[in-house]
Amino acid sequence: MPDLKPFLVLGFALGGVFAMSGVGLVVLYRATGVLNLAYGAIGATGALITWSLLDSDWAPDWLAYLACIAFGGLATLLYGVLFGPPFAARDPLVKATATLGLLLILLGTMQWVWGRDPHGITLPTTRWNYELFDARVSGTQIIGVVFAIAVTVGTAAFLRVTKVGTAMRALANDREITATLGVPVRRVEAAAWLGSGIVCGGAGLLLSNLVGLDIVGLTFLVIPALAAALIGQLRSLWVTLAAGFLIGIVQSGLTAFSEVAEYRTLTPFVLAILALLWFAIRREQSLVRSSG
Amino acid sequence: MTAVGTLEGGETDSTGEVRTRRSGRGPVRLVVLAGLVAFVVFGLPTLLDRYWLQIVTSAVIYSIVTLGLGLLIGRAGMVSLCQFLLLAIGAWVALRLEYATSLPFPVLIVVAGVVTGLIGALIGLPALRLSGLYLALITLMAAGAITVVLRIAQFPNGGGGFFGNSAAGGASSRLPRPAIAAGDTAYFRYCVVVAGLMFVLAVWQVRGKSGRAWAALRQSQATAVAAGVNTMLYRLWAFALASFMAGVAGGLLAADSGGVNINQFPVQNSILLLAVVLMGGVYSLWGAVVAALLLRLLPALLDNWGVSTELLTILFGIGILQVLLTAPGGLADQVPKDLANLGRRLRNLVSPKAKRAAPPT
Repeated sequence: MPDLKPFLVLGFALGGVFAMSGVGLVVLYRATGVLNLAYGAIGATGALITWSLLDSDWAPDWLAYLACIAFGGLATLLYGVLFGPPFAARDPLVKATATLGLLLILLGTMQWVWGRDPHGITLPTTRWNYELFDARVSGTQIIGVVFAIAVTVGTAAFLRVTKVGTAMRALANDREITATLGVPVRRVEAAAWLGSGIVCGGAGLLLSNLVGLDIVGLTFLVIPALAAALIGQLRSLWVTLAAGFLIGIVQSGLTAFSEVAEYRTLTPFVLAILALLWFAIRREQSLVRSSG
Repeated sequence: MTAVGTLEGGETDSTGEVRTRRSGRGPVRLVVLAGLVAFVVFGLPTLLDRYWLQIVTSAVIYSIVTLGLGLLIGRAGMVSLCQFLLLAIGAWVALRLEYATSLPFPVLIVVAGVVTGLIGALIGLPALRLSGLYLALITLMAAGAITVVLRIAQFPNGGGGFFGNSAAGGASSRLPRPAIAAGDTAYFRYCVVVAGLMFVLAVWQVRGKSGRAWAALRQSQATAVAAGVNTMLYRLWAFALASFMAGVAGGLLAADSGGVNINQFPVQNSILLLAVVLMGGVYSLWGAVVAALLLRLLPALLDNWGVSTELLTILFGIGILQVLLTAPGGLADQVPKDLANLGRRLRNLVSPKAKRAAPPT
């Protein structure tokens, strides 16, 4: 049995970021019906802006880190305000396809502006090291886990307690009826876009530290987050949180076993397929029960 | 689930209707089409040098992939994001079969198509009962997964037997061409013929029972079920057919000059492929040709003019948004309309009296 601890630590941290990205995706999908496939691309662009700011010494470091989160929030909000309303009445598939347009625009811009040189960001927290259960843990890894749980708990509380949160839950049920009840639909949707975007910027910053600042790699790290959201049936925040951690831990844990280590990045795909098959079987059973 | 994903949106517009009209101009159109094909087969190769002939050959091969994806999106209302990587699978299967067997080239590419079709169907199967969104997500994940497998297997590799693996596996591998199409010009014509057969297959499917079933499905799943359409079967068939076409194109691509290597199949190309298919137009078979030209010819032209090809990625991103918002028929639908409008404007400029003949648009 190889020593799993270092891999599990990284797995928890990665899983945390997948989980909070997944939660960000689910909340936006529930409130607006848009599954934002450009999530990874937005985070990556934010991280590259941070890199440029750090590189230029033009702004203090903390402002550079903040820029990543701010870019995530503002870019997502801008897309939501511009393209949310015209697509509002369309099928979820069309809304998701439209975000692929945003993905390509950002990907092309990143490759055009930053494509030539390698990049990397090291957050100060990455240099803080702790001994936890006989394993070496960095500050960024702890932030990954803590933030994931905080974002999920915070979002769940926000949806339950606040007025805007209640309006978002109403939107998830029926947009037309919610509008008739006098809820300012567009403002509530804008809040969802902004919130989801801020989480996205934070996830991008953390991932650029945990896995490296690779343009295409970060853009398609939306896949594990999507898998987590899909396992949560694009509905449950708590299942998404758990699924995110599961994907991160399995994927990272497999690194320790040389026979399957190469295949570890297939984890989100395999887990999502298994979840879909399980839903299909369960649905069939419930149909049989309700008809019988 | 009342309606599967369609691009037309809430309000039905004229481009949504299925284009199978057979007007009185049928014979004329057929003659024009035959003339065009004859020009492409016999005239075009003499006009192009070796470099541009290669570009046009690859555009012909890619038109088979865009045809399949266009059918899937426009007719069946489903979106697949792994079509570009199924092309790699098709090339791979054809290459492996060539190592393992001594099948003739046409059989090789058909088998590559069938195997790819089965793999495509297998990927889509778990999500078919769920909404189109789930299917698109699964195919996006599959695209990521296939990229990983290709890298691990050191695609395209060159060992003996079907599962052979040689440590010295080359970075690039090329399928031997059929004896009748050994030269570049002959191979170009060979590809045009295969692509032509695929277009015939597409027309036959769209005008037949499958096309009617897809049309019913696209309008409303509930109505289709009520009308006795086996929805699962026809959705699966659309997916398998599109994958089959990608596989056949993969076989052709493997024998194209330079062969195939792993760098040709980055995961973002699946999304670029979707973009060009939407921009070309999914409701007309011409859209597939436009899409292939956008994908292969446009980058070569820009490269020639010294324009950065990353700008093209941005342009295709804007294209997706524009098509989904204002022009669901894509270029194949929009350009003739715009030209007709322009013609009418010009005519009106010349003789203002003709204005009354112009229908309102």
